[in-house]
Amino acid sequence: MVVPFFGAGGESLAAEKLFSIGPLPITNSMIFGLLTAAFVLGLFGLAARASSLWPKSRLAFWCENFVDMVLDLMAESFGDRKKAQRFFPLLLTLFVFILASNFSGLLPGVQTITYNADGTPIGLFRAWTTDLNSTLALAVLSLATVHIYALRELGIVGRFRHYFSGNLLNPMNIFIGLNEVFGEVLRLVTLSLRLFGVIYGGEALLFAIAHLAGNFAWAATLPIMFLEIFFSLVQAYLFMMLTATYLVMALPHEGQESEAAPKPAAAMPNGRQAKA
Amino acid sequence: MATEIDPALIKGLTIGLGAIGPAIGVGLIGAAVVGAVGRNPEIQGKILSTAFIMIGLVDAVLAFVLLILFTT
Repeated sequence: MVVPFFGAGGESLAAEKLFSIGPLPITNSMIFGLLTAAFVLGLFGLAARASSLWPKSRLAFWCENFVDMVLDLMAESFGDRKKAQRFFPLLLTLFVFILASNFSGLLPGVQTITYNADGTPIGLFRAWTTDLNSTLALAVLSLATVHIYALRELGIVGRFRHYFSGNLLNPMNIFIGLNEVFGEVLRLVTLSLRLFGVIYGGEALLFAIAHLAGNFAWAATLPIMFLEIFFSLVQAYLFMMLTATYLVMALPHEGQESEAAPKPAAAMPNGRQAKA
Repeated sequence: MATEIDPALIKGLTIGLGAIGPAIGVGLIGAAVVGAVGRNPEIQGKILSTAFIMIGLVDAVLAFVLLILFTT
């Protein structure tokens, strides 16, 4: 006998439509995504308002510590604090928002509070990252940022030579370049599908375990819940780190041309110290 | 095919065969992490953060398997 996991009130693969504003259908994941965004904005807005030189508010203290930790991490992966600070707002927003969206799927009431749209009950809320549309949008956002900044820094010719390097009469170089371009497209697929697959698969797993365990669902889902918290953290961290890595790989490296000039000046004090 | 195959068998094979690859991958990562921390314990934090990235990349494969398992 096949257990109908998704016949009995489970979530479907696509987000369900609640209502539509004109031609635009509003799905339950969009609504919950907006709520999550409002929560994150409110939390960090409050922390930013309470932030001062000597923070008296506990929220501001923890948020500042967290932001500082992420900035240190980014400075390490960019290898340059100034460069990291340039892209830091985007990366921190990606991390915090994805983390909040992942965690929001574990809250009680998500998917269980239903709404009767056309006679069939539909979950009113659905975690924002369990919809492939939203993770694809995130991947497009992050990869578009990478390409736009790389084009601005390197120019069209430099960007072209980034893929097709060396002598272009050699067919091997063209083949390698085509492979690189294909990998660029593949990044979009893997970045979006990984986040969606892990979070959605985790929620489906929770649902399946709860149904298999019957009366002992409260005990059986507890370890899966911890697993989900771990995966949510890892996936949010991974998305941020992969975006940072793509940025580092696409932008010109230090010592190439623009940053070659300050280097001798920076080396001067060391030389003096060695003499003295 | 004349004979009917039980879908539960296919689902069991999906998760069983699909878990082999990620399991080997996570095992290799774990072995490498233990070896690296044993060699230089002072950068344990850095090694662990890299290891978590790698575990996340490998676990995505298992997530795809779960996705296929639960949605078909």
